[in-house]
Amino acid sequence: MITTTDLYKTYQMGNVAVHALNGVSVSIKEGEFVGISGASGSGKSTLLHMIGLLDRPTSGGISISGLDVIALSDQEKTIFRLERLGFVFQEYALVHELDAFENIALPMMARGETDERISDRVSEMLASVGLQERGKHLPKELSGGEQQRVAIARALVNDPDILLADEPCANLDSTNSKAVLDLIREINQESNQTVLMISHEDWHQQYFDRVIRLKDGEVVEE
Amino acid sequence: MYSWIRVSLFLAWRAIRRGGKVGTLLNILIIAMVFTNMILLSAIMTGAVNLFHEQTIDYVTSDIIIKPGEDERTIFQTNDLLEKVNRVPGVSRASARYALGATLNHKSESVSIPITAFNPRDEVKVTKIHQEIIEGDFLSPGDDGILLGFFVAGYEDQSMDFFESLGGVRVGDPVEVMYANGYQKEYRVKGLFSTKSYQADYMAFISWEEMDTVLGRENTESTQILVRVIPGEDPATVKTRLLEFGVQERVETWEEAITKVVADSLETFAIINRISVAVSLIIAVVVIGIVFTIKTINQQRQIGVLKAIGIDQNAIIGSYVAQVLFIWIFGTILGMILLNLIMIYFTAHPLEFPDGDVIPAFELITMLENAGMLAVASAIAGYVPAWRIVRENTLTSMRG
Ligand SMILES: Nc1ncnc2c1ncn2[C@@H]1O[C@H](COP(=O)(O)OP(=O)(O)OP(=O)(O)O)[C@@H](O)[C@H]1O
Ligand SMILES: [Mg+2]
Repeated sequence: MITTTDLYKTYQMGNVAVHALNGVSVSIKEGEFVGISGASGSGKSTLLHMIGLLDRPTSGGISISGLDVIALSDQEKTIFRLERLGFVFQEYALVHELDAFENIALPMMARGETDERISDRVSEMLASVGLQERGKHLPKELSGGEQQRVAIARALVNDPDILLADEPCANLDSTNSKAVLDLIREINQESNQTVLMISHEDWHQQYFDRVIRLKDGEVVEE
Repeated sequence: MYSWIRVSLFLAWRAIRRGGKVGTLLNILIIAMVFTNMILLSAIMTGAVNLFHEQTIDYVTSDIIIKPGEDERTIFQTNDLLEKVNRVPGVSRASARYALGATLNHKSESVSIPITAFNPRDEVKVTKIHQEIIEGDFLSPGDDGILLGFFVAGYEDQSMDFFESLGGVRVGDPVEVMYANGYQKEYRVKGLFSTKSYQADYMAFISWEEMDTVLGRENTESTQILVRVIPGEDPATVKTRLLEFGVQERVETWEEAITKVVADSLETFAIINRISVAVSLIIAVVVIGIVFTIKTINQQRQIGVLKAIGIDQNAIIGSYVAQVLFIWIFGTILGMILLNLIMIYFTAHPLEFPDGDVIPAFELITMLENAGMLAVASAIAGYVPAWRIVRENTLTSMRG
C-alpha cells in the first residue's frame, strides 16, 4: 500500500516558484492498476518520481507498506528501488551495449543472483514479453515496441512490488501500445503487482482499475 | 561489494567490445605510446649508465681500487702490499700504478697531465686498455716508449678535439716530456689506445722500469693499486676481506670510486627521466580524461537510468574505471610488443654515443613500476569524469 500525505513539490526558478505538486494525498492499494492523467505540466511525472524515490518532496510524507521512505538514506533508497520497485520510462532507456538478455539480467546481477538463476529467470521474462527469439539482439536491432517490452521485462525481473511507468507507450504506435498495455495488465493480474502508470490517452483508461487525475499539481477527481 | 564489482566488470567488458571503437583504440594507442616513451628514455639512460660503469671498471678503476691512506701521498712498500693483496681469496690480480705530474710537448702543442707507470704484465690482468690499441703496440715490461690515450694524441685539426691535445701525434712520433721532478726526456710513441672513456683516453702510460729511471731510484711507492676480483665474486665482499687481511690503505669498490661529479651527472639523468615520466603520465591522464569525459557526457542519460533502476553508484563508476583498466592492459601489452621490437633493433644497431655504443637496457622492475604508475593515472582519468556525472541528480541526468 502506497500513501502520500499532503505532498508539495516546489521548484525555485530564479524568483519564480513553480508549484509542481500542491498537496497531493493519494492512497493506492496493493495489486491496484492505477492510471495517472492530466494536462501537460500538471505534475504527473513529479508525483511518480516522488513515489519512485527519485526526488524528495518539499514537504509531505510518503509511506510504502508502512515504511517512511523519505527517511531512507540515498544508499537505502537505491537498494529499495532495486528490490521493491520497477521502472519503465517513456524512452526505452536500455543500455546500448547490452543485448536484450543482458539488459534484463542487469538488475538481477546487481542483486547478486547466480548465473544459473539469472539465465532461467531472464529466459522466462523474455518469453513472457514474447521476445524469446530476440535475446541476442542489441537495442538498436529491435523495434520501438520490442525495446519497450525489454524495458518492461527489466523492470519486472526482480519481481518488484510496485511497477512505475511514465508514459511507456508515448513513442509507440497503437498496435505496439496495445501489446505493451495488455502485457502490463496481464502481469498485474497474474502476480498481483501494484501498477502506477501515467497516460493521457483516453483509450488507455479501460485498462485501469482507477484513474488519478491531476490539475495544476492537485488531485481533481479519483 | 562482490555483486557491484561483477556489474562493473560486466558493463565495462561489454562497453569495450560493443562500444565506440575509435575512442578505445585511441586510448590503447596512447597508453602504448606513453608506456614505450616512459620505458625507452629510462632504458637509454640505464644503458648509458651501464656503459659508463663498464668503462670505469674496464679502463679506470678495475673492480677495487686501493689508494694512499689519509694524509699520505703514496702507498709505501708496494711489493709487500701487492703480495698481500694477491693472497686474499677472491682476488684475481692486483696491479700497482705510480703517477707523476708532467708536461708533454709535441711541436708547438703541449698537454699537462700526470704520467702513469705500471707493470704491463700485471696491468693486462686488471684492465682492458691493452685490448683497445688502435695503432702501434701496448707497453712491454721494461719498455722505454710511451703509450698515449687517443684524446692526448688528438687530431691535427684541433677543432675535433674534446680536450687540449698534442695535435695529432702518431706512433713513432717524438714527444718531449718534462716531469714535475725536473727530469726531462724525449719519448717515441709506442702505441695509441682508444677506449671511448673520457677518463682513460686522457691518460699517458710508461713502464715501471722507465719510472725508476725518471725518479733516479728503484721505486717502491705507488699512487694506486687496481684489483681485479675473480669472476662471480662481489667486489664489496672482496673489499671487506681485504680490510680483514689488514690492508691499511683506503680501499674502494669501483662504485665508491666513481667521483662525485659523475654521481651528480647520473643524478641529473635520473631527474630528467623523472620529469619525462611525469609529463608522459600527464599526457595519458589528459587524453584518456578527455575521451572519458566525452563518453560519460554522451551516456549521461543511460547513467541516470541505471541509477533509477537501482544500480549502485559505485558499480557505475567502477564500470568506467574497469574500462580504463582494460584499455590499460591492452595498451601496456602493445607497449611491451613495441619495446621488444625496439630492443631487437637497438641490439643490432646500438646508439652511437661519443663515449661508446649504448644498448638500451630494459629492466623488468622499471617496466612494472611504470606500468603501475600508468594504471593509477589511467584509473584516475576514468574515475573523475564518471564520478562527476554519477554525482549529478538522477532526474537531471535522465533528462539528458
Ligand atoms: N527540474 C525542474 N525544475 C523546474 N521546474 C520543473 C522541474 N521539473 C518539473 N518542473 C515543472 O513542474 C511542473 C510539473 O512537471 P511534470 O514533469 O510533473 O509535468 P507532467 O504532468 O509530467 O507533464 P508532461 O505530461 O508534459 O510530462 C511543470 O510546470 C514543470 O515545468
Ligand atoms: Mg511527464
